[in-house]
Amino acid sequence: MTAVLAVSNLSKYFGGITAVDDVSFEVRDGEILGIIGPNGSGKSTLFNCVLGQLTPNEGEVRVDGRVTTGMRPCDINRLRVSRTFQLLQVFPQLSVRDNLVLAGQEHQGSMYTRLIGRADAGLGEAAGQMIEFFRLSHLADEMAGLLSYGQQKLLDAAMAFMAGPRLVLLDEPAGGVNLTMLGHLRERLQAYHAEKKATFVVIEHQMEFVMALCTRVLVLAEGRVIAEGTPHDIRRDPKVIEAYLGH
Amino acid sequence: MKRLAVIAVAVGAAFAIVVPLFLKPYGIYLSSTWAVLTIAAMGLNLTLGYAGQVSLAQGAFVGIGAYTTALLMHAGVPYPIAFIAAGLVCFSIGWVLGYPALRVQHHYLAFVTLAFTTLVFLVLRNEEWLTGGTYGLSGIPRPVLFGWSTNGPVRFYYFSLGVLTVLATGTWWMLRSPWGRAFIALRENPIRALSLGLDTRRYTLMAFAIGSSIGGLSGAVFAPLVQYIEPLSFALNLSLNLLLMVIVGGSGYFFGPFIGALVAVLLPEWLRFIEGYYLVFYAVMVMVMMAFCPTGILGLVERIVKAVSVKRSPPQPALQPEGTSP
Amino acid sequence: MASFIQLLVSGLATGAIYALIAVGFTLLWQTSQTINFAQGEFVMVPAFFILEAMYLGAPFWLAILIGIALSVLLIGLAFKLIIVDPMLKHGVLPLVISTIALSLFMKEMVKNLYSSNAQPFPALAPPIDLHFFGAVISTQSLVVLAVAISAVVALHLLLHKTRLGRSMQATAQNPTLARILGIPVRRMVLYTFLINAVLCAIASILISPIYLAKFINGETLGVAAFLAAIIGGFNQVRGAIFGGFILGILDNLSAAYLSSTYRGAFPLLILIAVIMWRPQGLLGRVEERTV
Repeated sequence: MTAVLAVSNLSKYFGGITAVDDVSFEVRDGEILGIIGPNGSGKSTLFNCVLGQLTPNEGEVRVDGRVTTGMRPCDINRLRVSRTFQLLQVFPQLSVRDNLVLAGQEHQGSMYTRLIGRADAGLGEAAGQMIEFFRLSHLADEMAGLLSYGQQKLLDAAMAFMAGPRLVLLDEPAGGVNLTMLGHLRERLQAYHAEKKATFVVIEHQMEFVMALCTRVLVLAEGRVIAEGTPHDIRRDPKVIEAYLGH
Repeated sequence: MKRLAVIAVAVGAAFAIVVPLFLKPYGIYLSSTWAVLTIAAMGLNLTLGYAGQVSLAQGAFVGIGAYTTALLMHAGVPYPIAFIAAGLVCFSIGWVLGYPALRVQHHYLAFVTLAFTTLVFLVLRNEEWLTGGTYGLSGIPRPVLFGWSTNGPVRFYYFSLGVLTVLATGTWWMLRSPWGRAFIALRENPIRALSLGLDTRRYTLMAFAIGSSIGGLSGAVFAPLVQYIEPLSFALNLSLNLLLMVIVGGSGYFFGPFIGALVAVLLPEWLRFIEGYYLVFYAVMVMVMMAFCPTGILGLVERIVKAVSVKRSPPQPALQPEGTSP
Repeated sequence: MASFIQLLVSGLATGAIYALIAVGFTLLWQTSQTINFAQGEFVMVPAFFILEAMYLGAPFWLAILIGIALSVLLIGLAFKLIIVDPMLKHGVLPLVISTIALSLFMKEMVKNLYSSNAQPFPALAPPIDLHFFGAVISTQSLVVLAVAISAVVALHLLLHKTRLGRSMQATAQNPTLARILGIPVRRMVLYTFLINAVLCAIASILISPIYLAKFINGETLGVAAFLAAIIGGFNQVRGAIFGGFILGILDNLSAAYLSSTYRGAFPLLILIAVIMWRPQGLLGRVEERTV
């Protein structure tokens, strides 16, 4: 059975610095894979290479068996792969509802029908459902720029899910979010995962979040994979402990 | 704030309709010029204000539209067809021009459009057999539409105002559609937009091509207004003027071009006493604006209105989602 | 063959001037993300500084020094402090617009303050023609070549052989790292503006005898700068030099062998061709796609 995401021998250099060094891994259908590692271990660069933001110098990325290395982010998204961002999340001048419609509209019809058709591209109801799912109903018509940081993170996740993706890559979803909101976010992610049988890959720093959410964990240090296994095993792996303490 | 905007627009529209009553023929001619420039600036606003690309060719597109219209009319083609042809020609050229330039970074479109403007000028000046060369094309008739002649200052003004209204409505409608949402996304957060499947390149190209075609339509109204066109009118200076108009009015605001064109038409009249220096004044004004208020006149107005309304009612405490403690 | 050599030499001379302008332009872009649309006017104006100084009684050599000094002060220092610095915090687009407005400002100021007519400008060398295998080469062209090439070589030595120059390069490539290494980044950036002013002044002195000093010179010269920089490769100085020479030669050859009414067209078409098929320029590196 083909892996949903298969990364082979991926490397990325910036001048003299090797950010990602010969990384290979697979993500199986329905998994929640966590990627952890100390600062500078290359996690975000890896994501950006997988999602088309950057072009890797070496290696290959396949989604459902199809080569996606070097494709533009919008074309990869059309293959039902979406992402959340650590920073730069929402569109501040649009309402919450409009943000969600935008997140889905490019998957409806063609450029032409989007011009001629309805102003909300037929997504009014779907947006409403997503708003309810993330419990943002009372904020539906507020400008996204006015939301608190934690709420913007929820909206960010909602936008990533809007087009019904198969594979979602979450870049530090827990960063900077208070504990209560964090629990809420994790619970919504798990609910979405259970309902839609989607596959997740999560970069995170916060150990508890990763351990509670992920089924399998990959550990990166200095651009290389140093350990792989269940959260339980990773916790005890001496290489991992050294990587974190050694820095 | 929305209510204020609606009232302002209604007042402006009413003013635009009754203004010929208070003006002499020269003033009415200026009003028609304002309408023509607003159309061109509206097109450029799409490219610059919504898609964030600098185009230095809008003047050239006005020229292409003007010459296309004039040549077709001289060949006996009815005006409405010439009008549409001007728009289509400019759309196609805009598409072909923008396609390679927008694949790369660094505002390459600015350079390509700069080169294009020069090229267009050279062609207009050199190809005498087609364009009349430096002698230009004269005797461009005022169109007769459904038996109603537009000849006469007031009649032509209402004609140009009518075209402006139709095009503005069309643009407004486009900006309310998913395309408008895409343009805003493109402008605010292109990286996020890409990750949501939004083809930023295609939307930018579309904005540029449509913006250029609207420039062409402006030329199609310009030609019968002035009734004599020559290459110098469409050289780099016009493109620069249009750019400054959009910036001064407020780039990215729907009514920015209307204000910018008004300033551009009135300023030389008010500053007549300083003669040639009015462009200097204009340029200085733009530089000062860029330093303190890059969002133009309408941006300044918005800032003032926001400041006043904040004074009136203090800001609400931060909003929380239901089911969680503050 | 003789006329070909003539054209080649004059093409190299013009190309050298274009190279100077393009190098300054590229330096500004590299070190401070400044796309200077007023670059052409920066080359047009120093000639008028010099003409005015001469009108006030200064001999040519003194006027040149005054002209260069004024250039450094106004289109170097003042440009950076008054226009670029306040604008940069608003982003690249407002700065681009400001330089466009600045170009209009400079053009109109010269037109109104001085004259809208073309002004003759003294040449650096007496107009003697040398005969070389049947080709007629003016000393003018040779002097232009000599001065321009010396300027470029001097710049190269500065950038690569001095500590100052290497600091400037480091600033251009990675300002954050440069700052960490203790390089005074702001001062380095200032120096590039001053260098650009000097290069523009020299270019002005070299080109005004040929084209005459006109307030609209900036338009064609600016376009030439952009073309040269892009054709050569937007992100490096070497590319700008190469682009300048190519442009100069092509410009002269096309004017002679192709139609002269379309003199300006050939380089423009080359620009469009380069952007279509090799956007990083003939010598440039392929840049990372950020979006």
